[in-house]
Amino acid sequence: MKILVAVKQVAALDEDFEIRADGLDVDEDFLLFDLNEWDDYSLEEAMKIKEASSGDVEVVVVSIGPERVDESLRKCLAKGADRALRVWDDAIEGSDSSVMARLLAAVVRKEAPDMVFAGVQSSDHAFAATGIGLAGELGWPHAAVVNALDYAPGARQASLKRELEGGVSQSVTLQCPAVLTIQLGINTPRYASLRGIKQANAKPIDVLGLGDLGVAASTVGVDASLSRVRRMYIPPKGRAQMIEGSPDQQAARLVEIIREFKGA
Amino acid sequence: MDATAQTTRILFEQFSPWAINLFYAFGYAAIACFLYGSYVQVRKYRRGQPDASWGQLAARFGDMARTMLTHRTLKRRDHAAGAAHAMIFFSFIALFVGTATITLEVDILKPLFGITFWKGGFYLLFSLVLDLAGLGLIGGLLYMMYRRKWMALPKLDYTRPDRQPGDPDYDRSAYRREDWAFLWTLILIGITGYVLEASRLVWLSGDAGVWDSRFWSPVGALLAHSLMGLGLDASGAGTLRGGLWWFHGLLALSFIALIPFTKVKHIFTASASLMFRDPLAGRRLPKVPETQEAAGYQAITDLTWKNLLHLDACTKCGRCHEACPARTVGAPLSPRDVILSLREFANHALAASSLPDKAELSIHGKGPGQVFMETLWSCRTCLACVEICPVAVEHVPIIVQMRRKLVEEGQMEPILQKTLQTIHKTGNSFGESKRKRGAWTKGLPFPVKDARKEPVETLWFVGDYAAFDPRNQKVTQAFARLLHAAGEDFGLLLDGELNAGNDVRRVGEEGLYEHLASSNIATLEGCEFKRIVTTDPHSFNTIRNEYPEFADPALRGLFQIEHYSTVLLKLIQNGRLTLKKHLSHRVTFHDPCHLGRFNKGYDAPRELLALIGCTLVEMPRNRDNSFCCGAGGGRIWIPDPVGMEKPAQNRMKEAAGLPDIDVFVVACPKDLTMFEDALKTTPGCEGRFVVRELIELIAECVEAADPAPAALAAAPAMA
Repeated sequence: MKILVAVKQVAALDEDFEIRADGLDVDEDFLLFDLNEWDDYSLEEAMKIKEASSGDVEVVVVSIGPERVDESLRKCLAKGADRALRVWDDAIEGSDSSVMARLLAAVVRKEAPDMVFAGVQSSDHAFAATGIGLAGELGWPHAAVVNALDYAPGARQASLKRELEGGVSQSVTLQCPAVLTIQLGINTPRYASLRGIKQANAKPIDVLGLGDLGVAASTVGVDASLSRVRRMYIPPKGRAQMIEGSPDQQAARLVEIIREFKGA
Repeated sequence: MDATAQTTRILFEQFSPWAINLFYAFGYAAIACFLYGSYVQVRKYRRGQPDASWGQLAARFGDMARTMLTHRTLKRRDHAAGAAHAMIFFSFIALFVGTATITLEVDILKPLFGITFWKGGFYLLFSLVLDLAGLGLIGGLLYMMYRRKWMALPKLDYTRPDRQPGDPDYDRSAYRREDWAFLWTLILIGITGYVLEASRLVWLSGDAGVWDSRFWSPVGALLAHSLMGLGLDASGAGTLRGGLWWFHGLLALSFIALIPFTKVKHIFTASASLMFRDPLAGRRLPKVPETQEAAGYQAITDLTWKNLLHLDACTKCGRCHEACPARTVGAPLSPRDVILSLREFANHALAASSLPDKAELSIHGKGPGQVFMETLWSCRTCLACVEICPVAVEHVPIIVQMRRKLVEEGQMEPILQKTLQTIHKTGNSFGESKRKRGAWTKGLPFPVKDARKEPVETLWFVGDYAAFDPRNQKVTQAFARLLHAAGEDFGLLLDGELNAGNDVRRVGEEGLYEHLASSNIATLEGCEFKRIVTTDPHSFNTIRNEYPEFADPALRGLFQIEHYSTVLLKLIQNGRLTLKKHLSHRVTFHDPCHLGRFNKGYDAPRELLALIGCTLVEMPRNRDNSFCCGAGGGRIWIPDPVGMEKPAQNRMKEAAGLPDIDVFVVACPKDLTMFEDALKTTPGCEGRFVVRELIELIAECVEAADPAPAALAAAPAMA
């Protein structure tokens, strides 16, 4: 019995960042990398299933990215994942989520898990496409934005709830194996202590190249992607403004603005 | 030959041989019971982990003996109880040594070598000393009884802040019964001793050898005269003496037999606890050995033998209970109860001949003897408990060790988790970019050196609050201006500095602490400087006391760090800073835990206040008894429960109770944040005084534009 959890190391902007010279991304010097917040929850969900089970459940985390991603994978290992896989080849640079989904599908075929979790979306690029694209590549059942799950390892079916817009929930049963994208709040992720992360150094992180997955270099990268970034930029300032002055002056100005909007 | 030269007391006078044998049998049984009980205790300690406190035993013994003979620790904050204890203690020693002297002659020297010395002048002096010792014992015990029964001291109330009425161990009434049994047993031994002595005198009043020297036992003699006045004759006295002899003897033997099983064992455990005291307890927390797999204390057997010994030393005097800021504001923590819970747990789990299952040894949980997670997280690691404990119990290291386990398991407030992750990611608790650490220097009219790029005399370790908090940045800038004005050659680590880790370590995140400390140490080792200076007592403590353990042994001298108070004092005293004006404020001063209690920096801030002309009015809780602002131990990152008084508010009320204070002076960035906030939220305190950093007051005096003589005389009084 195996659960595969696809995770991503995301970038957050540092103070006073600058856009890269080619205008396609933020200069990496100004990025702080960390595990995607959604992935904390999907890993936790896998760990809960593992810990509640009397049988042997293996939790494998997989990520696509360069060496720096190991730090995030180690955090997952510290939280209790059994193994970590990192897929990388310089040719992958610039790939969009359709290529990522194809690469992950190759990993799933190789690992043959009983269940695959991914986060609903990543906090940096926010396409919310990789997990669902993966299900498409595999032709597996899928459910997006899962906020409650009832699944016994190895079961033929899983029951779950999906969070829809407007405060509506959907109760779903689906055939396994399946791909689920996990929503924030489904559980309370555990803390990975620094000692735990250090000790996770002893656990293996297997690095897989394109050859290991049987993927041709021509099918990855910018040219093989279905979309490409044309420009990254800081949009002109919106209509937000700071109201200066003493509290009295601020209050008076606020009343003025509200009146303007009401058209009084 | 002088007749008194042969004066002595005949032991077992007119006892039949079988009665003497019976008494010896009881005596051996009592000793056997004592030895067995002691063995069980020692076996319990040996089930703890090793501790490196062996070594320097002679110095440790000397230190212990000094503390015991002076009763220094017992007299603090409760002089009468300390004095009464001293009376009991010294009397008990005299009586014990006296009894041992008789044993020495009767059971050893006389049968083996035929030597006798317990006679004549020595005997008479012996009688006098022991007679007076009995008075000291009874007097001391009477005061203790009065204190327990009628003084209604809150610190002697055993009800627990971490349990509810109805919980099995809520009021710890068994301890109360034990206290009284202890007092009554001892006092009865003392009283029956006197009556026994008096009845013997009356019984033998016809024997001139006994009767003529009766006033060498003045109390016994007076009692004998009283009993005779009440009509007791020699034969009645003989009967009384016969019965009382057995009662007194058996009571005393039972007392000895029960020592290892009752609070009486503090005679030994408190002494040993004092002997193994760690002068840096809590100031320098224990490292987790590289080879150790799990950090922190999960099971009672994870405690060291020294921890287990400390648990047994506690006599429930309540000084820590009284001093604890968390307990004072109603949080579910009393350091006393943590110690007692663990002691009960240890006695229950480790006293049997074989150890119970690992699962039954967990000290975390909600059961009797277990410690709640809420209790552990209530601690502010201010060291008030460790500092006042008369028998050197070290509460804080145990609490932090238990927290380490909670951290490993993620058993903490989610907001604390976030903060720890933020510190790991950004190196500071504000979640600010590293690049912004030096942003406060932009407001200075002079450039500040980067100590990583050029050698400096003084390396200033700024710390998170002083660097990032907007209110504290003003103070930080003022200190920079003062150093500049004094011509001090100083520099910063800027974005090379990480959170010093003092509070991270006290939270129990040892792995993160190791990361922060070793990163900072590596940065410091790459710089050239003479000394480190900081305005932050928390950074001060960890760099001074803890960093050396993480550094290359050859470079330990690097961590010569000073708090700004001693730095400014020297700069003013040697004339490098001139005070152009004096302030005539009436001020009170709050000792920061990490400067005062942790590192004994009580005097420099007070001397500075005197130099700038302020009149210092001390709060009732000052210096070593300073009351924590509530921010320590990582509690600054955890909001206090709504509706409960905050320690800082409690402190504000204390200051507001002083007559006409202008300024509440602090010397710590976290204090400034905590108390400015508390001043606004404590009813009836806002507007009574202002909170200011000592640096700001000094800067005001140094930077005054015109040192006109008039300004010295009439500094503006603050509302």
